[in-house]
Amino acid sequence: MKRDSTMLLIGVGGAGCTMVRGILSRFGGELRHLLVDTDAASGDDGQPEFLLLGAERLSGRGTGGEIVSARLAAEDSASKLDEFLAGVRLAVVVAGLGGGTGSGATLEIVKHLATHGIVSIVMATTPFAFEGEGRHRNSRGVAAMISDAANATILVPLDHLAGGCDEMAAAMRVGLDTLAAAATMFWRLVETPGYIRLDAERLRRMVQSAGRGRFATVCTGGPGRAERAVEELVRSPTLADGTNQVRSIICGVLAGDDLRLAEIGTVADGLKTAFGGGKCDFELATVNDEQTFRGKLCVVALMFEAPAQQQTQEKEGSRSTRKRKAAEDRRRALIPNSPFSNSAPTIWNDEDLDVPTYLRQNITLEF
Amino acid sequence: MTNIYAALEIGTSRTVLAVGEAQSGQRLRVTSHAEIASAGVRKSQIFNIAMSSQSVKSVLKEIERNQLEKGTVINIENAFLVVSGQHVKADRFQGSAQIARRKVSAEDMEEAARNARAMPLPRDRELLDIIEGNYSVDGYGGTTTPEGISGQIIRLDTIHVHAEANRINDARTAAGEAHLELREPLFAATCAADAVLSDAERRDGSLVLDLGGGCTGYALYADGGLAATGVIGVGGNHVTNDIACAFQATQAQAEELKVAEASAIVGADPDAAPRIQIPGSSPLMEQRTISRHALDTVVNARCRELLAIIRETVEEAGLLHRLHAGVVLTGGGAALRGFADLARRELGADARLGFPSQVDGLEDAAFPPSFAAIAGALMYAHRNYEEKSLFQTIFGGFRK
Repeated sequence: MKRDSTMLLIGVGGAGCTMVRGILSRFGGELRHLLVDTDAASGDDGQPEFLLLGAERLSGRGTGGEIVSARLAAEDSASKLDEFLAGVRLAVVVAGLGGGTGSGATLEIVKHLATHGIVSIVMATTPFAFEGEGRHRNSRGVAAMISDAANATILVPLDHLAGGCDEMAAAMRVGLDTLAAAATMFWRLVETPGYIRLDAERLRRMVQSAGRGRFATVCTGGPGRAERAVEELVRSPTLADGTNQVRSIICGVLAGDDLRLAEIGTVADGLKTAFGGGKCDFELATVNDEQTFRGKLCVVALMFEAPAQQQTQEKEGSRSTRKRKAAEDRRRALIPNSPFSNSAPTIWNDEDLDVPTYLRQNITLEF
Repeated sequence: MTNIYAALEIGTSRTVLAVGEAQSGQRLRVTSHAEIASAGVRKSQIFNIAMSSQSVKSVLKEIERNQLEKGTVINIENAFLVVSGQHVKADRFQGSAQIARRKVSAEDMEEAARNARAMPLPRDRELLDIIEGNYSVDGYGGTTTPEGISGQIIRLDTIHVHAEANRINDARTAAGEAHLELREPLFAATCAADAVLSDAERRDGSLVLDLGGGCTGYALYADGGLAATGVIGVGGNHVTNDIACAFQATQAQAEELKVAEASAIVGADPDAAPRIQIPGSSPLMEQRTISRHALDTVVNARCRELLAIIRETVEEAGLLHRLHAGVVLTGGGAALRGFADLARRELGADARLGFPSQVDGLEDAAFPPSFAAIAGALMYAHRNYEEKSLFQTIFGGFRK
């Protein structure tokens, strides 16, 4: 276990712990990590870096899907968590949202990290579309709060990670594996020396005010592998999730000794053009590991979106803004000096209810 | 021992304050109430603290004057706040607990309820009310008495009503400047329902529409409990504005037309004069007459649209055909001529005005349904604070 690293990987809840184990087995080397759960069974494999949350409150039985119990358990164990945080400056928290511990404890842990000045990036899965409304509601409710509390958040619907699987168990496994693979590559970029290295402190600075993000990974081989990698990334459902403009891209290229400079250029230019409109911050790192990546070219892309307010400013003058302004002008013309002219409109089924009904419904009045 | 409570509502059209008294365990009596036109409020949101503070000061003075006429002296220092507005939202939550000894116990039920109550809200929201619904055990539910049922997980359905914290704080600031401390914020629609509905009406299925100036609150009851609640951002001021727009009248003239002449049903009164005279509003706009048919058409269009939205909301809750106790109209907007008849037609259920029958003392009010929400807030105070022996706290707020 590499205790001198300033980066800590934290897996929260059942899904989070599974993902961390996947990352550890893939990474193959020492990686500073911590498993956190309310269910004692998650620490059954003798992992020394395991923290049982709310041991007194829940007796290691888990929360039964209850978010509040998980939050309280995490609060109870805050001082024990501190024992694992010495020297940490950047924490990557992985979890599955929708259940109790993954949702509730993640929120409290991220808040606790912030009180120690530790920058946090949360990578979490959200439930499959077919899962119960209760899990979706848990996930939706807590996701907004986690986004508020964490420096950067990447939420990925499990549906997008487990695209082609028919069986539930396989879909879940593939989903968690994919996220684990992405996090592993991300770790390699920082911890493994490469020609172009991503410094942990530089990464921390980028993540500090990153906000909402998305990610994708791809591995290709053979002739034209760089072009194909870009094509697959552009088509990736996880990168298509975002609605806002991309503000910064962190891109990692992992390959063997045969990595060519032109391939790095192809990947970098392709991503910048496809997602950033050529204007976003771009950070690139490479890993050259002949043993692991021989003949392969793997790319991990993390993208962070501009905050909504910034988006609005940037879009000023665009066609949609002009359209909106024209609609607003029409509305004001229809209701001059009305009691609603300086207030937020009442919208129902895309209709502005502040505009008189007889006007909107084209009712002819017999004066 | 007499308990005294006060409740304040800073609405779009009017600011209302009422004081209620009750002996322990007795029915509440509203001993004094006052209302004045609001200022500084738009669509149920305060936009000018100084103006709305002045409204609170004026209504406080009015209450003091009322009390003096009755030979009592009362200095109101705190009041419960009645809240409405588009910013009020209602969300469904579930609180769950593991059943400790295979069969549901009172402790398990309490833990589920505690977990539901502890459900976090975003930082910018303030909780107004939590309404508890039915329990379910391992997914099988629909009961309020699950004690003794075998299972592993117990869940309680709740509805959390919450509002924008900043809007509540604005009301606190405005009242604070008038030296009135605000206690808990309470949701207008459910308060109104408390004051006008009987237990039987809640059981049989009923819908309370609290028609305010800036918005309309609704509370839908079935099987004895609250099934859905919320706010639609359309109120009496929209009707007024539609009239002003259609007939190029000032807001004051339009309000006067709405109150004195308009009907929600076109041609409801065949004996009424076909033309209505309105005074000139400026040198260029001389005295003139307008068509009653046109006036009622404008009002009817707005009211039908509002009722269509409400119908859609009730249908979504699957309760449109279960309003056996009908629709109950409260708030100042309920005074609009023909609205109850239109509601009957559009919602396919009986509709009536909601008089606050669960309290005494409002019989002399000009239009009692407009005091339903504030009466419900006083009932809440009586119900919750009397039993907890907070008399001293409340009493401390009133110096006799």
